[in-house]
Amino acid sequence: MDISLLAFAHILVAAAVCWLNFIVIDLIFRLPAGGGVVGATAIGQHIKERGGSLHGGYMMGNIVSSPDASAGTLLASCGVFIAGIPGGLLATLLVYIGNRICHDPGYAGTTGCVTATCIVYGFTLLGFSPAEFIAGMVIAIMTIQGISHRHSSRLLSWLWKVRGG
Amino acid sequence: MTPQEAAVMVCAAIAVYAAIRVALEPDTLRKLPFLNVLSFAITGVIALVLPHPLGIVAAAAYFVGSTLESNAIASTYAGGLDRRE
Repeated sequence: MDISLLAFAHILVAAAVCWLNFIVIDLIFRLPAGGGVVGATAIGQHIKERGGSLHGGYMMGNIVSSPDASAGTLLASCGVFIAGIPGGLLATLLVYIGNRICHDPGYAGTTGCVTATCIVYGFTLLGFSPAEFIAGMVIAIMTIQGISHRHSSRLLSWLWKVRGG
Repeated sequence: MTPQEAAVMVCAAIAVYAAIRVALEPDTLRKLPFLNVLSFAITGVIALVLPHPLGIVAAAAYFVGSTLESNAIASTYAGGLDRRE
């Protein structure tokens, strides 16, 4: 296969892996339960006004307002790309500091960063480049935050219901 | 094309797309998720074009800073203080 086609195929696989990583960890850490700060609550309510779903909107508001598992996945990919596992661990420390700066008492960001460091490093052993995971995570966040808030918030609310609320 | 160049292309294209969506969305609070996508894309580009240990710090500092700004805009716009303050 052409080398650039292979890179784009890897990016799509990486996007799916990053999507699963950050959605599962954000759901485990109960991000859709409510807005962590008033701004996140307001974003959820505005998304609901436009035909979206409230709990999915809260999760989207929380992703905007503080570095969560999606940010952890992105920065871990950047860290592993630049400096391997130590880079991923440095990114974890920076996400932890970022969470405290943004008044987020949770550990979704740091947990996501640690799991993403392991996942990205594991995939490099299979021939993937960490750079592909950076692009993959940008695609993954675009599917949630950047295409249709109405549909993505409904999907997140459905997943929240499946988790058991 | 190397994987790194392919990744920069994807990030840059998504950054431009997100910037257009931010400009077209009339509601301030609903602009913020699009702005979040823009921050992700720019953070990715910073790390990809600065492969140096300080590049991680630069990318993380940019990302945390933009998140804090979005947090402040949303909380101010919603007319309240942070509950935990």
